[in-house]
Amino acid sequence: MSYKTDLPVMKPFKPREPEPLLGFRPWHIVVIALLVFFGPSLAFAQAGVPLLTPFAVLLDWVPLLLQGFIFNLAISFLAMALGTALGTLLGLGQISLSRATRGVSWFLTQFFRNAPWLVLLFFAMFLLPFEINLLGVSIPFPDWFKAILGLSLPVMANVSEIVRGAVRSLPSGQWEAAESLAYSRRQTLWLIILPQCVKRMLPPWMNLYSILTMATVLASIVGVSEVMTLTGQALAAEGGRPELLAPFYGFVLLLFFAYCYPIARFTVRLERKFAVIN
Amino acid sequence: MIKTTMNTLASALVLSAMGLTAASADVLDTIKERGTLVVGVKADYKPYGFLDSSGNIIGIEPDLAKDVADKLGVEVEYVPVVSSNRMQFLEQGKIDLMIATMTDTEDRRKVVQIVDPNYYSSGTNILALKSLGLEEWEDLRGKPVCGIQGAFYNKSTSQNYGAEIVAFTGTAEAYSALKAGNCAAFVYDDSAIVAKTNDPEWSDYEMPLKTIDDAPWGLAVQLGEDEFASLMSDMITEWHKSGRILELETEWGVANTPFAEAMHAKFK
Amino acid sequence: MDVIFEWFRVLYDETGINLPFLYDAYDRNRMVDGFFTTIRLSLVCLFFSVLIGVVGAWLQGSSFKWTRRIVNGYIQLFRNTPPLVQLYFFYFAIGTMLPTVENDWGGQSPILGSFAWAAISLSFFAGAFNVEIFRSGIEAVPKSTVEAAEALGFSRLQIYRDVTLPLAFRVVLPALNNNLVNLVKTTTLAYAIAVPEMLYEANQIWSDNVNVTEMMIFLLLAYFVLVGILVGGMNRWERAMRIPGFG
Repeated sequence: MSYKTDLPVMKPFKPREPEPLLGFRPWHIVVIALLVFFGPSLAFAQAGVPLLTPFAVLLDWVPLLLQGFIFNLAISFLAMALGTALGTLLGLGQISLSRATRGVSWFLTQFFRNAPWLVLLFFAMFLLPFEINLLGVSIPFPDWFKAILGLSLPVMANVSEIVRGAVRSLPSGQWEAAESLAYSRRQTLWLIILPQCVKRMLPPWMNLYSILTMATVLASIVGVSEVMTLTGQALAAEGGRPELLAPFYGFVLLLFFAYCYPIARFTVRLERKFAVIN
Repeated sequence: MIKTTMNTLASALVLSAMGLTAASADVLDTIKERGTLVVGVKADYKPYGFLDSSGNIIGIEPDLAKDVADKLGVEVEYVPVVSSNRMQFLEQGKIDLMIATMTDTEDRRKVVQIVDPNYYSSGTNILALKSLGLEEWEDLRGKPVCGIQGAFYNKSTSQNYGAEIVAFTGTAEAYSALKAGNCAAFVYDDSAIVAKTNDPEWSDYEMPLKTIDDAPWGLAVQLGEDEFASLMSDMITEWHKSGRILELETEWGVANTPFAEAMHAKFK
Repeated sequence: MDVIFEWFRVLYDETGINLPFLYDAYDRNRMVDGFFTTIRLSLVCLFFSVLIGVVGAWLQGSSFKWTRRIVNGYIQLFRNTPPLVQLYFFYFAIGTMLPTVENDWGGQSPILGSFAWAAISLSFFAGAFNVEIFRSGIEAVPKSTVEAAEALGFSRLQIYRDVTLPLAFRVVLPALNNNLVNLVKTTTLAYAIAVPEMLYEANQIWSDNVNVTEMMIFLLLAYFVLVGILVGGMNRWERAMRIPGFG
């Protein structure tokens, strides 16, 4: 018989969900973002103020910057897809029965998790060839593709950890029950364990996607024409006027906020929905 | 099924091998076949190569590249490059031709084929506030000086004159940092600085020192592309002869440089 | 020592493996300085981000609605925007708006330099995560414990400082360490505003010597070892601080 008390020393530690920003709903943020940035410029334009105010200058560049941002999103989708595919394999490798596979997978995961994203990006950028010759067919490796590869490396390592964590979080009874029903290890993994893991993996996976999206701006440092590179070039073309800096960088901040904040809220909702009641 | 795949693979192999030999034999054929000349130019170096608000690269060097494409009867495509990647791009074949404010040095001639005669020239100088009253390079000792990552004069400025180089990834950042007062000066190519001092926004700034390391700029093609190089050589001679460079300088608001004038006089 | 350094020069001449930060005194000093700048920046950011986390978690428990809202707004803004853009925004946009001071070369320069801005920006970024982490830890402390402290006449601040926080600290340690390790990796971003940390110095060296491959491999290994030591130390500490029978 176990002793029970309603005065525990500590309650279980649950990661806390961030509260909504000032009680706003996600779509409010998008509307406010648009108003803050386009409102003043439209007002200036209508009032006939000469097109030299910082916001008017920004407005001139907005279409180009938006194109750059869409490029960032494209990089994030592809890097996430590639990283998830590789990371799932690596994660399964980490729970493999073979000691060697486990060891190698563990090392790769730790190595790419511990290296800074920016350093990995530099690594992919400068050390990958411009094109590779496979069976005489030359496959070009453009910059954006190298950026995708560079960003997918840390994603891979993190997905690997997510997979391993999710599999290990399932009660061992699941494995034993499957074994008693004569499922092979592969069947158990694919038919019983992984389907249950998806729910547990989804919230951390979406958090990772958010982090990746925000990391795509790092590609500017290695010269990919994404939104930060274009912002820098736009500022150079406008002659480096200091009063332009706040609106331009602020605009980039808002673009990312308008995209990542709804994702973060959605993740919280998913977490709540999938919460495992112990 | 397998046989057809093998056949396709084999023919692909042969075809690409032929393509490869053709490419290494003469890039001009590749350009004509492709219908576009891919040129590496700067995109943050006003007025030599910069961006307009619709995302096109414009400036003196893109105009020169356009002349080359017109001569070859093909379209032109610009690839933005920065100092730290321009030679790699050319080596890797990502660009056919590089006109990207590159100083002609012995070391670089080992990596890429720099075409004679040189098309332009600039030296190293600084942009600094007039009120600082800098007169000599030695005055920079111990002061933070903005620079660009990958520029060859960063090391010499810090080793020879004791300046503390603060290197940024792009010119926009460096200009902003200079204006904010994070650096005492910005060490850069004098051609860009001259253009900057004419800008009313920068009227408090000057180019106070004697230009050092005055060196010609070289446009470059891949090593071994002799035919393309000789065509470019004629092209440059023609630019100097016809005064095209002087004309472009005026068009983009740069005072005519002594180098361009001297070359015009020489080839006229 | 010099013999070893010279050996690397010979290695370069013989094999073309160029490691100038070992045989060239100028490059060696740069690399060592870069290493210590990374360490210094990491320590400063660790300290301030934990401080922000502790204070923020306390403010979040405030009974004023607007205090809570402001803290939440800060968390959401910093969690959902790229740290690199935050860094640019702080350094270029806010940095230029602040008053300037007379500097030693007779000009006006901003009060804060790139190191200070990197420290501020990265501390706020990591701090946004730390607030949530500490808050979760505080919620794991049973109400009865707080009530007992209240019964003993502790004030709200005293309860937070002497009862809740020490208990919470032990349960949040794994999550906190994870975030702090991320913070150390994020210090590489300071490269973009020319803080002379390890990545920046390595970049200077490979620009001058055209030895990208060697420098890249060295950098990856250096960070792997640095972060590995940190993770190892943190894990030991976690084990030492674990509440027996909890979790």
